[in-house]
Amino acid sequence: MTPDSQYKDKIDFYLSSLDELGEVLINQEGSSGITKAVLRIILGTMMASKGSIIGIKRTRCNILSSHGVKIDSTKFKISSSEKESLLKYKNSNLNKAQLKKLFKSKDQDTLSSYFKALDPSIVVPLFHKENLLGIVALSKKFTGEKYDAVDRNVLEIICNHLTDSLYNQELIANVKDKRMELRLKVLELQTLFDISLSLNSVLDIEDLSSEVLIRSVSTLNASSGFILKTQKNSPLLSMLSSFNVDEIKIKDAMFSKSSVPFKSIWKDKESIKISNHKDNPLLIKSGYKECLVSPIIGKRGILGCIVLGDKESREGVIPFEKNDIDILEALSSQAGIAMDNAKLFQEINAAKRFNESIMGSIATTVITVNLLGEIDTINKAGKDLFGDKAKQIIGEHYSFFFSKDKNLCAAIDAAEHELETISELNTSLLTKSRNTKVNYSVAPLKDEKNSHIGLVVAIEDITEQSKIKNTFKRYVSKSVVDQLLDDDQKLNLGGEEREVTVLFSDIRGFTAMSEKMKPKEVVTTLNSYFSEMIDIIFKFDGTLDKIVGDELMVVFGAPIARDDDAERAVKTAIGMIESLKKFNEKRVKKGKVPINAGIGINKGKVISGNIGSKDQMDYTVIGDTVNLGARLCSFAGPLKIIISRSVKNEIGEDYKTRKLEAIKVKGKRKPVEVFKVLT
Amino acid sequence: MSDFQVTVKEVDNVVVLATDGYLNNIGGEKISEICDEYLDKGKNMFLINLEKSTVVNSIGVSILIEIIEKLQEVDGKLAYCNLASIVEKTFNIMGLTKYSTIYKDEEAGISDLAS
Repeated sequence: MTPDSQYKDKIDFYLSSLDELGEVLINQEGSSGITKAVLRIILGTMMASKGSIIGIKRTRCNILSSHGVKIDSTKFKISSSEKESLLKYKNSNLNKAQLKKLFKSKDQDTLSSYFKALDPSIVVPLFHKENLLGIVALSKKFTGEKYDAVDRNVLEIICNHLTDSLYNQELIANVKDKRMELRLKVLELQTLFDISLSLNSVLDIEDLSSEVLIRSVSTLNASSGFILKTQKNSPLLSMLSSFNVDEIKIKDAMFSKSSVPFKSIWKDKESIKISNHKDNPLLIKSGYKECLVSPIIGKRGILGCIVLGDKESREGVIPFEKNDIDILEALSSQAGIAMDNAKLFQEINAAKRFNESIMGSIATTVITVNLLGEIDTINKAGKDLFGDKAKQIIGEHYSFFFSKDKNLCAAIDAAEHELETISELNTSLLTKSRNTKVNYSVAPLKDEKNSHIGLVVAIEDITEQSKIKNTFKRYVSKSVVDQLLDDDQKLNLGGEEREVTVLFSDIRGFTAMSEKMKPKEVVTTLNSYFSEMIDIIFKFDGTLDKIVGDELMVVFGAPIARDDDAERAVKTAIGMIESLKKFNEKRVKKGKVPINAGIGINKGKVISGNIGSKDQMDYTVIGDTVNLGARLCSFAGPLKIIISRSVKNEIGEDYKTRKLEAIKVKGKRKPVEVFKVLT
Repeated sequence: MSDFQVTVKEVDNVVVLATDGYLNNIGGEKISEICDEYLDKGKNMFLINLEKSTVVNSIGVSILIEIIEKLQEVDGKLAYCNLASIVEKTFNIMGLTKYSTIYKDEEAGISDLAS
């Protein structure tokens, strides 16, 4: 074989290697596949038995591919000075001696130690510009020959391609890393967005805090976390929620806002990172190597805090970064707003329940009507009043619901337009029934800014009271009826012995007088007379027991007893005489005959109650006291008032009286003491 | 810290891993170890039931990506089922769903992977 043909064969061999290299770089997938294939081509082309391709990132060396090297470890270190020294051999290579001079370290995990195991004869640094991406190291040729200039040139060509490939792989890895970072950012933003959405919909504080905590832990790659909340009247913080923590250790721990590290957080209202503080109580209690604490700030101050511990990485716990604190602050600030909202919601609910309880407990029907005229609310009394009809009331227009009660509708309309309270007493409520009697008032409803927001209709059902009034109004004054209605304990109509004062009055000579009058005039005269008298009787809260012909019987002390019954009876009598005198003056002026009545008053025990038959029953009093009262009346002269000793004893010296001669009364053994009231 | 639990079963040549707990670094590593073990036995179809793992972080996700890369070299597949909506959203954002499939439940996953 001639040298020319030998040279040609070598050229062909190198060219076929470069051709194969081209194919590998184009077709091979994955970085490890490329470096393995390239090393195989290098070893074959250079006829070396051992060799390695070493990747370098900063000071870390990673054996990407190797052949024939008996060493288990794949990771080594290269110093900055070693890297710098290699720069001299950029676009060149080093021999064994140069390598020995450069890599002197005897440490096990250094690249020097790897080179000792490999014992390379030629080393090519793979520089992209000034950046050392890797090293190709080859042992001596298995033929024993030395690397010649052509070998070195061909190796450099292959290494240049390998450098480009490593650079591209690094670019791809960087793009992948950047893509991952971008996705993490998207995840963070999505988390913040999701949290703001879910926080608006979750109104339970515990659910809310759990959501915030889980999102914070997972977004920041923390290993675990917990939320502490403030307590009323206590510096101690209580556990609101926790995630992935050592339950026993954390839950038994006591945290106080007045101790380290919470004291400063409560004071400065800022998030902090706690690390490298072995004595920090929070790190001791939680077992964290490092943690972030962010206050949850509400409108009324700090509501609590989020604690996240130990940021994870594939290589173990790594420090939290500034960006992590920013994200946690964003999350805790959202939590603060949401917790305020939840608290407000709870307070509103409590106030609503309180109002409902008040509205439910009052006996008056309360209905609210909105600005559209629709009925918004009705309380329990209203539901009871309207019964089944109340089921359709909410949302109904008032004019439909109260269509039968034109006056009420007009009152609502007027209150709305005039913005004034409109009331009506003792009127029918046809919406309920013909017999239902009510008092109602319609008032404008205003919000906290005093803006008109609707109307409130209050309806008081007085049907029962009306019945009682109708029963008693003919007999007693309004104030007595009201007392009876206020306290039905006072009302005992079943029959009892009680002390009362009875007043009798009749018209002297009325029978003879009426014989000279037309019947109609008799009725008119009596009605006018009784009307005047009854006004006086009711003025002093007397009970008109009965009217028989021209006679009036009035009771003081039944159905309601008072201390001044006797005195009021005397006052009534005096009033009646005075009124009668004025009444007569008018009659005389009209040419009519005056009416002269006499009055007798007695006090004593009677039997009171509803007395009569099943069909006709009246509340009245009976007994000797009543009979004597009637006798005293018949004894009294015109416009005179005669009282018994028992009455005299009650009224004392306030009224002028004159003792008259005792009178004999049927059924009484002794004459009865009587007194004339001087008017 | 609470334990991350994994129970494993084989159904129709599909390795089903049911997890319980926070799918973070620890959880991810545990899944990765189990997958390696079954890969060595020649299995290449994996279904992870995440019903009881409702919280996932990006470290856990990156470990799942590594498992997918390993499985791609042996024509294998990694799939998930019973995902909480928040986990599914995280997987979508992190690009996991481009290289793996989400099934509604174990039954759907197994029947598809085994076919």
